[in-house]
Amino acid sequence: MLEPPASGIEARGLTRRYAGVDVVREATFRIPAGRKVALLGSNGAGKTTLLSVLSTLVQPTSGHAWIAGHAAEGRGAALRRSLGVLRHSPMLYEALSPLENLVFFARLYGVPDASTRIEELLRALGLWGRRHEPASVLSRGTHQRLAIARALVHRPPVLLLDEPETGLDPEGIALLDDLMLRAQGVTVLAATHRVDRVERWADGVIRLDRGRVAEDTVSTEVGVRA
Amino acid sequence: MNAFLAVLEKDLRLAWRDRAGWLTAAAFAAISILTYSFAFDLATSDVRPLLPGVLWTTFLFAGVFAAGAGFQREGEEGTFDALLLSPVSPTAIFLGKLAATLAALVVIEFALLIAATILFDEPLLTPELVAIVMLGTAGYASLTTLLGTLGSGHRARAVLLPVMALPLLVPMLIAAVRATGETLGLFGGDAPWVLLLGVFAAWSTLTAALLFPLAVER
Amino acid sequence: MNLARRVYALRWVALPPLTGAGVLAMLVGAVVAAPRELVEGDVQRLMYIHVPSAQAMYLAFGVVFVASVMVLWKRDMRWDAAARGAATVGVLFTGFALVTGMLWGKPTWGVYWQWDARLTSTLVLFLVYTAYLLARAVSDPSDEQAARYSAVYAIVGFLDVPLIVMSVRWWRTLHPQPIVARLDPQLPDSMLAVLGISTLAIFLLAAWLILLRTDTERLGQRLLGLRADVDRREEA
Repeated sequence: MLEPPASGIEARGLTRRYAGVDVVREATFRIPAGRKVALLGSNGAGKTTLLSVLSTLVQPTSGHAWIAGHAAEGRGAALRRSLGVLRHSPMLYEALSPLENLVFFARLYGVPDASTRIEELLRALGLWGRRHEPASVLSRGTHQRLAIARALVHRPPVLLLDEPETGLDPEGIALLDDLMLRAQGVTVLAATHRVDRVERWADGVIRLDRGRVAEDTVSTEVGVRA
Repeated sequence: MNAFLAVLEKDLRLAWRDRAGWLTAAAFAAISILTYSFAFDLATSDVRPLLPGVLWTTFLFAGVFAAGAGFQREGEEGTFDALLLSPVSPTAIFLGKLAATLAALVVIEFALLIAATILFDEPLLTPELVAIVMLGTAGYASLTTLLGTLGSGHRARAVLLPVMALPLLVPMLIAAVRATGETLGLFGGDAPWVLLLGVFAAWSTLTAALLFPLAVER
Repeated sequence: MNLARRVYALRWVALPPLTGAGVLAMLVGAVVAAPRELVEGDVQRLMYIHVPSAQAMYLAFGVVFVASVMVLWKRDMRWDAAARGAATVGVLFTGFALVTGMLWGKPTWGVYWQWDARLTSTLVLFLVYTAYLLARAVSDPSDEQAARYSAVYAIVGFLDVPLIVMSVRWWRTLHPQPIVARLDPQLPDSMLAVLGISTLAIFLLAAWLILLRTDTERLGQRLLGLRADVDRREEA
């Protein structure tokens, strides 16, 4: 269901300053393709900011990043096509139905077999029965499932997830874990508070403390990119 | 191009779903005309010289009102981020939004022209007048779409939108009123107003389309 | 560039006395030294403040434009501080221009306001830049996104200026009227001299105030940053 990638996520010296404060400071790590990494840290440690910078939504104050082999500075279409992003807000059109939302996003990303893919995702996430209802009537948990579907619709080789389990009921969390486990070859960096579930799907951990990388079990060697 | 159409279609669909918002703008416009009618006693005195002014202030206020209300939502739902994250160029996003806004505004303006034709017994649906209305609308729609979209998600900014937009639109307002008056045979042709209107429309659309991508990079 | 930097560092030493001397010279010149105008009388002396104020206004708005372009390009919040500083000063001098214009108008035309083309465009510009300051003020001085939004507005506003001036002028040529200040080259040398001194004085004043405001805004930003830093440390 998910595509094998070209390469993973790499960051070198990523720094992001807001109002004179370094929210993310000199973050350097390398996540090889296909690895699934949990991003840990207390509130305010900089997890959301780091994910925002990696998603190219926010420009770093300094430093570089590469996603699936594409340099983040370019912010090119190819890079953004390789990314599936989940943020705190679901990023869905409340007035549109799950089906209409996914059709729109599939069109934006140029998904070739859109209708098949959308049906596949909606069924996998238990949304098929409610595909025509406007998103505004869906519960928080259902919203989250739809947001996950939106992040996955274009089969991105790299996933950046900010607390994806928020709002999900146990069934939803099981579905999420299942998706993660089955994502062969997809690189995942997911910020999470559910430390208890980390062993289920993660094969590495990066912990942030006040913006710095305090623990990193994933990066093998941080080589110099030519 | 496909992306532009996707955004356009999405915004039109949203506009239709949320027609309450646009209907409020249309209602506001209708109420404005009535307010002017009572305030300036348009029923009895010679209406004609005031008509262009009444029409254009109504169009402008309705347009700015609608822009402020409409773009609120996109920011609140975080979908603007989703658009920026997608491989679509910001220019396509802007043009799609602009096209959708133009479509909605033109519908409201047509309704208003019909109403004004009836209320004031003036033939307002001539080709020249319609052309002037479209040209003027293009001028103010691009600036309000630019300011409205960029400012979306912040309630204070939505409230400020009329304050910010209207001074910038002075040239367009003057030109549109004079051009409309000329067409209706009310004022003499004293300056190339239609040309100015066209220049303003071209300038505002170009500037807005160029600035939008620069402004959304965060 | 080092010379420029050193000169910049001396601004608080050099500008206040220079500006003070200039303004004094301007006042002496305008009130005492310049000859009394035949037709309009002493009211005409307001020209020595009005004309340079209008020019300083355009200068300040030009600074806002450049600073706003830099905000979008360099993403450095210092340019946002400069833009806000220059806009505040610009609005101030616009106010001077409008008020002196109105004070001149009352004895000359009999009314304070005659929809003169130049004063009217000045009023529109006053509104544009007040809107800019308002839009910026509803967000934090350190809010980068707000800075970008306001910068876009300032850029559009500045580019709109020629269109505003032109359209208002065309609008008012329907009703010909005396222009506010006659900048005849036929002005006697003594008047031109005082006008020159006044222009220099007002420009110095504008420059000083812009730098002052910019520094104030900068300090405000840094204060916010320090406060945020302290909060973070306390949390940890």
